[in-house]
Amino acid sequence: MQNLYLPYQMRIEKIVEESPEKDLKTFELSFLDSQDAVDCKYLPGQFAEVSILGIGEAPFGIASAPCETGLVRFSVKKAGLFTENLHQAEVGDIIGLRGPLGNSWPLEKLKGKDIVIIGGGFAFTTLRSMIRFIIEPKNRKDFGQVDIVYGNRNPGQMLYKEELEEWLTRKDLNLHLTIDKPAEGWQNYVGFVPQITEQVIKPSHNAVSLVCGPPIMIKYTLPVLEKLGLNPERIYTSLEMKMKCGIGMCGRCNIGSKYVCKDGPVFSVAELEKLPSEY
Amino acid sequence: MKTILKAKLPELLEQLAKEYKVLVPAKLEGVSRFAAYRENLELALEENVTMPPKDIFFPQTEEMYKFKSKDQSLEIEEIPQDEKLQVIFGVRSCDMKSIDCLDQVFLTKGFVDPFYQDKRDKSILIALSCVKPMESCFCTSMGIDPQKGQGADIQAYDLGEKLGFEGITERGQEVLSKVSGMFAEEDAAIPSIGEFNLTADVEGLPEKLKDMFDHPIWDDISRKCLNCSTCAYVCPTCHCFDIASEVRGEDGTKIRCWDCCMVDEYTVMAGGHQPRPGKKERVRNRFLHKLRYFPERYNMLLCTGCGRCVVKCPVNLDITNVIKKLQEA
Repeated sequence: MQNLYLPYQMRIEKIVEESPEKDLKTFELSFLDSQDAVDCKYLPGQFAEVSILGIGEAPFGIASAPCETGLVRFSVKKAGLFTENLHQAEVGDIIGLRGPLGNSWPLEKLKGKDIVIIGGGFAFTTLRSMIRFIIEPKNRKDFGQVDIVYGNRNPGQMLYKEELEEWLTRKDLNLHLTIDKPAEGWQNYVGFVPQITEQVIKPSHNAVSLVCGPPIMIKYTLPVLEKLGLNPERIYTSLEMKMKCGIGMCGRCNIGSKYVCKDGPVFSVAELEKLPSEY
Repeated sequence: MKTILKAKLPELLEQLAKEYKVLVPAKLEGVSRFAAYRENLELALEENVTMPPKDIFFPQTEEMYKFKSKDQSLEIEEIPQDEKLQVIFGVRSCDMKSIDCLDQVFLTKGFVDPFYQDKRDKSILIALSCVKPMESCFCTSMGIDPQKGQGADIQAYDLGEKLGFEGITERGQEVLSKVSGMFAEEDAAIPSIGEFNLTADVEGLPEKLKDMFDHPIWDDISRKCLNCSTCAYVCPTCHCFDIASEVRGEDGTKIRCWDCCMVDEYTVMAGGHQPRPGKKERVRNRFLHKLRYFPERYNMLLCTGCGRCVVKCPVNLDITNVIKKLQEA
């Protein structure tokens, strides 16, 4: 009997405090059993159930990329009982991981296309995985021009600051960072994500867009993308929902007849338009 | 057909219990449900049992694994499963169909639930035909034949004084062969089923409901619901579950238990976002799941017309009445 509910055992190798508010941490995990590292093959956009045994289990998008072998990374905002506990964990602690779960960013549909990646706040995790995947030398030729707009309320809340600095210098992607209001020392864009998107992204009939962020950001970004020539079939987003099993059985993450855990979390806007607006 | 006097049934079950775990409809502490056969058990064969057979395959609470966490180490131990084959006698056609629905959820679409599969694989199902519908029955409206249980290994017939048995699958034949000496072989007419009190017209309903998500009828339908979850508790097809853990000191057990879309905690997320904030949204989800979403996903309704929710709902939120309102809306 293969028990799908058993977690891999993971050791916390590194914890990064991501924001001055101290409510956002990135956890880098390694597999206790090296065979698990081989078995746990994932794609950008997938998620996993992370568990602290005795406390609970919750789904998080995987922030690392498949090419970063042997480790799995998650960025977690303190929001409830489980995340409060996870934030108290220390390097060396053993936690559980079940996954990968769900579909991924539509890699086949992205091949040969220009990619427009739009992120807001701490929802940048699986987008980061996708970007890291694209710029891996063996993958880069599969994709056209890559434009990224990433916005936050203030500079301190940017995830993966060191990596963003490096990306700003790269020639194989265009990273546009923005914050809501001017801040001292900030040398990038100032303004909301939809507005900056309109400013920096060129109209395209070839591009595919991946959008993740707070609902309000998505709401105002979609019309901008449509104006730039991206129809709903070529805009993808990733949904969040309460999930327990992660394999389409326990029931709670349904939107109409789709389960976010199994049929998602990635959906095109065209697919979402056909579902009840109950998420 | 193989026949046996009803009075001899305990003897037959006794015989089978020597080889198999035998589950039968029985009355225990005032509630009729499937229970392991033992001598002097009060069988409940006059009408269908109050609690459906789903808990045989999908127990109300089930252990998933045990764990021990100490300092920075963790031990995980799987739960040993019962090895014995089980014969389940007396499953009515509506409940046979519900097992088909549960099979879709737990065994198809790419993932197999190991706990469900294990119990399902070990089960030999003896369906039992109905003679007289209960007041709350409407299985025929849901396309179910009350005298033929879909997926049965053995079909049993209520012949009045006697019971008739027909082996259907190889496994079923084998079970019958073990007790063949107890049967007479005779031609027997299967009594016709009586009139149904309740009916429901589901013709075209899944299709019609595609455009009814925002219909004002849901306010009307959900108004009297108490969100008490009784309907899901007695439903043979409701299969949602929660996963939790029980911890004592360093030892813990991961468990799952039945859950229901009628309660707030079911969908509320960390941080407070609630996609289905009120009873209208929850009632709508339950009925749309049964009548539209499940047919879309698995090509069958998630209601078998067993009528248990009709009987047990404290405010008489009768699904046949809901179907009628939806058809007329």
